[in-house]
Amino acid sequence: MVREKETTLYIGPQHPGITGNMMVKVKVQGDTVTKAEVHVGYLHRAFEKLIERRNWLQSFTILCRFCVPEPDPMELTYARAVEELEGREVPERAKYIRVMVMELARLQSFMLWYAGQSGSAGLYTLGQWSVGDRNYLLDLFEDLTGGRIYHMYIWPGGVRRDLPVGFKDKALRTMDYIEKRLDEYDKLLFDNVIFQKRAQGVGIVPADKAIEWGVVGAPLRGCGIKADVRIDEPYEVYDRLKFEVPTAFGGDVWARAQVRRQEARQSISIIRQVLEQMPEGEVYNKIPNPMKWKVPAGEAWAKTESVRGEVGFYVVSDGSEFPRRVHVKGAAFTNGVTVTEKILVGQNIADISFILNSMGVCPPEIER
Amino acid sequence: MLEQEQALLSQVTSAFPVKGKVMRNRRVEVWAESTTVSSILMYVKNQMGYQHLNHITCIDRIEDTKFQLVYTVFSHQTKMTLFVKTFIDRNAPVMDNIDHIWDQANTYERELREMYGIQFPGLVGAQEFILEDWDEMPPMRRDFKTEEYSEKTFSSLPGRENTQDVRETISTRSGEEIPDFAKKYSRD
Repeated sequence: MVREKETTLYIGPQHPGITGNMMVKVKVQGDTVTKAEVHVGYLHRAFEKLIERRNWLQSFTILCRFCVPEPDPMELTYARAVEELEGREVPERAKYIRVMVMELARLQSFMLWYAGQSGSAGLYTLGQWSVGDRNYLLDLFEDLTGGRIYHMYIWPGGVRRDLPVGFKDKALRTMDYIEKRLDEYDKLLFDNVIFQKRAQGVGIVPADKAIEWGVVGAPLRGCGIKADVRIDEPYEVYDRLKFEVPTAFGGDVWARAQVRRQEARQSISIIRQVLEQMPEGEVYNKIPNPMKWKVPAGEAWAKTESVRGEVGFYVVSDGSEFPRRVHVKGAAFTNGVTVTEKILVGQNIADISFILNSMGVCPPEIER
Repeated sequence: MLEQEQALLSQVTSAFPVKGKVMRNRRVEVWAESTTVSSILMYVKNQMGYQHLNHITCIDRIEDTKFQLVYTVFSHQTKMTLFVKTFIDRNAPVMDNIDHIWDQANTYERELREMYGIQFPGLVGAQEFILEDWDEMPPMRRDFKTEEYSEKTFSSLPGRENTQDVRETISTRSGEEIPDFAKKYSRD
């Protein structure tokens, strides 16, 4: 028997098949990974430090940049933590709008995931389609907030402005279109034998270890565990809406893909419900002059469900105009480091970026 | 009202010498001595089902010369969150390593070691996490002078002065001449 020599390979740091810069240093024998180490630090921008130097509202220019593919959960989580510290009420209509924004954000993030997941399997057509269709969702964001990617729309006390004229109809039309397109995506991805063979039995997260390892989001639900912040600790109006939290079994890339496939449809259903049920009224419980706005001293922990999983903010105020400490725990902090290091062992080199995509690794969220 | 939360609080306070309170629904906090934190976490994880470590964070209480550490754990059964909080000395910050309880604690601890200078004896993975070749004060400390560091490190580097042509610096260093076709675009 010939023993193959162990070789070290560096995957990344220039976009190793995922959004953002991160390096995975792997030791391989033949083309099988024997050890994996995640190295981050290429995108550290000291955001948590910068936030301490800004007032409570100025932080929003930074918050949305924690994770480029899905900035809105960061805004909402921070806003909810500040509202908890201050005891500020949010108008009913704003709660519905927030849920709609969150689900639109999820949906556009699913579109990027479709592109990344299929692209890393060598199926480029779907990526062109989904990123193209994502533009229709970004159009909605542009109408609503003025920005396509970064919105800074959800603020403590509500949202910045009400829906523009004709938004509801346009949003419903877009949902009809996207729903039809999802069927097409299924044919390209899930009916594709290449994807089936590549995804099944690859990158397995063991179900009995998933919670202990700190796995969150679709990778956790892909192990058959029904865990979602939207039902575990309902925020805004999620407890008044009808939606399923899909799960799958196997814990592999295929299971995670199945979860996301169904979640995208659930998001469409939620957006439709929200648009129908949304009451009339105010959207913003106005805060005082932002430059002099002091938030009462205290500590608050808020979390929301993003596409990648649980996003949590630990916000500390000392009663001044500036946050004392804002700690951001993104889903990728565990999914993308310790969990990835474990599940990559025994996998093929060609599957590394494929697995990274399915874990929803977002490097800027890890190092902040 | 808040019976589950009260039950959780009394279960922890009866097992350990800690003080705590119910913050609101689904949120309970306990304050412990730094030496008992790892025992509490081991207990709540193995005996009470708080298996999910949400995060570990640090707050620099510079006015009291202390660091406040917060360990947040969550139970998928009861859907409640427990905060275990403690203070450690800011001048000689040492805290028990808990990566034998949760593997992922390793990542948080490596980050805290770099950003606040907290030592975790026995921490696996001595390599740098985020900061590379950093020999200054840990930057997340409140007394780290961001602007001063920036001025010192970035503004005065040769080749970065506003009026300097970078190509000239490169050509001086390398001893290579700037080719003629490039010269015509020079600022002179």
